[in-house]
Amino acid sequence: MPPKAPKGEYIETDTGNKISRRSLIHGTQHIILGGKTVIQSDAVIRGDLYRSSSTSTSSHSHSQSSSHASSHKPTPSTSSASGAASQQQQQTPSVAITIGRYSYISRQAILRPPSRLHRGVYAFYPLKIGDHVFVGERAVVEAASVGNHVHIGRDAVVGSMAILKDFAYVLDGAVVAPGMVVPSWCVVGGAPARIVGEVGEGYGVEGAEGGMARERYRVVGR
Amino acid sequence: MSRPFPYAYISCPCANTPVPDPSKKRRSRESPQKASSHHPDQPKPPPRFDDSEDEQTFDPRAPRSNLSLYPPEHLLYCEDCHQIKCPRCITEEIVCWYCPNCLFETPSSMVKSEGNRCARNCFNCPACTAPLAVNTLENVVRGGTSQQGPWVLSCGYCMWSTLDIGIKFDKPTNIRTQLAKLTATDTNPSRSRQMSRTFADLKSPLSTFSSIDEQFPPAPGEARPDDSPDQSNGPLSPDARFHALKSFYKTQISATSSSPSDPLGVDFGAGFSSPGALNRIMSLYTSSSRLSSLYGGASKKPKTKPPVMREALTASEGFKTPAADAEAVLIQRMAADECGWDGLASLEQRVFQSPDARFVEELLPLATLLRTKRAKRCKSCKHILVKPEQKPQSTRFRIRLIALSYIPLPTLRPLVPPPAAGVTSGSAPGMNLDALPPLRPTQLLLTLKNHMFDPVRITLATPSVTPGRVASKVTILCPQFDIGANSDVWDEALQGNTTAAGAAAAGGGTGSNATADQRSSRSGAAPATATTAAPGGHLGMFEKVAEAGKVWDKGRNWTTVVLEVVPGTLPSGSSGVTLQSRDQAPRTTHSKTTGNDSDSDSDTSSFGGQAPDWTGQAAEMQQQQQQQQQQQLQPDEDVLEIPVFVRMEWDSENQIDRPGVSAAGEMVKRELAYWMVLGVGRIDPSVLS
Repeated sequence: MPPKAPKGEYIETDTGNKISRRSLIHGTQHIILGGKTVIQSDAVIRGDLYRSSSTSTSSHSHSQSSSHASSHKPTPSTSSASGAASQQQQQTPSVAITIGRYSYISRQAILRPPSRLHRGVYAFYPLKIGDHVFVGERAVVEAASVGNHVHIGRDAVVGSMAILKDFAYVLDGAVVAPGMVVPSWCVVGGAPARIVGEVGEGYGVEGAEGGMARERYRVVGR
Repeated sequence: MSRPFPYAYISCPCANTPVPDPSKKRRSRESPQKASSHHPDQPKPPPRFDDSEDEQTFDPRAPRSNLSLYPPEHLLYCEDCHQIKCPRCITEEIVCWYCPNCLFETPSSMVKSEGNRCARNCFNCPACTAPLAVNTLENVVRGGTSQQGPWVLSCGYCMWSTLDIGIKFDKPTNIRTQLAKLTATDTNPSRSRQMSRTFADLKSPLSTFSSIDEQFPPAPGEARPDDSPDQSNGPLSPDARFHALKSFYKTQISATSSSPSDPLGVDFGAGFSSPGALNRIMSLYTSSSRLSSLYGGASKKPKTKPPVMREALTASEGFKTPAADAEAVLIQRMAADECGWDGLASLEQRVFQSPDARFVEELLPLATLLRTKRAKRCKSCKHILVKPEQKPQSTRFRIRLIALSYIPLPTLRPLVPPPAAGVTSGSAPGMNLDALPPLRPTQLLLTLKNHMFDPVRITLATPSVTPGRVASKVTILCPQFDIGANSDVWDEALQGNTTAAGAAAAGGGTGSNATADQRSSRSGAAPATATTAAPGGHLGMFEKVAEAGKVWDKGRNWTTVVLEVVPGTLPSGSSGVTLQSRDQAPRTTHSKTTGNDSDSDSDTSSFGGQAPDWTGQAAEMQQQQQQQQQQQLQPDEDVLEIPVFVRMEWDSENQIDRPGVSAAGEMVKRELAYWMVLGVGRIDPSVLS
């Protein structure tokens, strides 16, 4: 590792995450980075939109540690919506965004946890991003889950609660509709996005198309 | 999907064999040896594609090249043929059908019977094709149990919902059957209410009718006595009509087929889809009464007159008579204020709908089309090349022989000259590949990475001047080099590369050590790569100068050589004028127009009296247009693409594939040769020579 300038563009964490000083990360305690993740400048990561019923449970202030504690099944006896919401919160730790290893968040990309109105309660759900994921410039991602080796192109929009399976490829400027599922190896494009093709069998091989994550990580900040 | 610069495409050798011919393929296995003798420095005449051996310089701009150039990850490799296989030289077999939305597998028997659409809750929006979600209308939470009302399908993209066509569902499951019931009864609530038959009801009367048909062969035009008026008038849903028509013609065929053993009556398939079916031909000559009566069979008592098929006549048979004023009604409806432009369904929307659907309110949600997972076989030797696991969600492969594990992986990046390195700290480090300065030498680093477990000797060859009008000079400073074997256990590199080779090497403790070693050796030499968003790296270690005949850098299983490119000038703007004068002086370069002139003699003879006036204004205009077209920059003509011929040689252990020829374990010399195209960048049009 070459010696770093004391005030470089990137902060490198213990696990090797390279995070631009000029990125906008909110609610850091609700974000888990898997290590060796790159977050470029002006990327917006909304960890503050973690799962809490924003309407009625303002009294419940959850910290990450407390919500980890109990994992019992919620009893259906709770009568109010706020009770149900807090039960749900206890079930899952309030992690808003998880990003795997060697993922790359380009400049001005926005990661925002998905949300939906469920039984009258507007709630955020965690956004899970896998390993070797590339998020292009100015892309907006609100997916529920993004698998490994997923490529999200420039200016793409991934709608709320969408699911991108492993090796999915979102073309530049595509608009993946809310709730859409993109199967593995599929290429989607257009607005609204449709499956327009498939990537080759060799996609994701180290060093080839889809397998450039380590190389991308390596050159950042040098 | 166009790629950002720089890219590397590989040409599948199959492009030179015009028709996939197994015998030819077998012969062409030996062709690379001959091809290697080709001298790179002499530009050859334009390629003749009837030749199976690629003796010519590959022209990436030739129209045929489109068909053979593939990104490396799309290519497979057949271990039996020892050849690269592109999507053109493989056959596919369906492994499983699955819904891309719910990712459930559909058994192929069900696909045959029910059609290739998801039978669950997956629908696409008829207005915009986005997937529809099942949503509830009522959201009342009472005493812990939530009361949830009727359900609708709604689109999260264009906000369309089934409420727009007046459909609600009672329960959130089995939407497909619910929808089928609803649409079978009232597709057009505005028009018909009298029909309240489901499809199941329709089937039974039809079967009785078909038996009636056999009893009373009806005269054409005769009205059916047993049709109740509401039934004949009531329009069926398109689906029900299709089924009614299908079953009607099925019964017609079974009724009119001459012999009981004839498979004609069983299904449409045997008799009608294949007129050459043996059974049909046999029955034509043996059991047909007509022929036997013709050829001396007159003595035999002719059989009964063959029954004649008739067409569908009534609504219950699927026949539909549009109302007399149907057109007028449609037009009135279109012209009405409440319809307007937005009320009309677009052509794209109507493509997937029933042919009667003209308005937005007639659009029905579309059940999601299924997708397939496919295994791939070599077309010539039928060996299986790719076999994915059957589970739709699985991304693993049982067999995956991709070309990348055999041929070296090419990566190209610009070599940033020392002064430029510190200057640009913008988006692209050093060099803007979208605006290459013409006539200025540019150095590029070409890295070839070996994924095989044997060391490989590589010979690169390239035409010194790229083919096409924009002639760029290319020199490979070190055209011959070795790449080390991919011997070390480096699980990081092989992770996800689940070929047979990769699996064999997985595991082992030295992996991390090797990566660290590799990284450090690379970081010293590799300058900032062309990752678009990487901020400019300014390392002061570019004293290294590219030398001819020496490799730039070398690692465990990769080697980097330097390519020197002098991009040519573009024939546009003021430079176009010079090109014009150049073009007109020697007529040989003017191939298109001269070709026309010389052809004109033979053309006039075929034109009869009216010989085309080549001296007239029209011809002149045409010529000028052609000239202009030639002068103007064709799309993507400014892209600098370098054809590179790669020939690789290696000694490999003889694989198990041919036990008779030589014993396993013996070293066999192998070679493989192919063309690859390196897309360097776009030549800057603003810089004029």
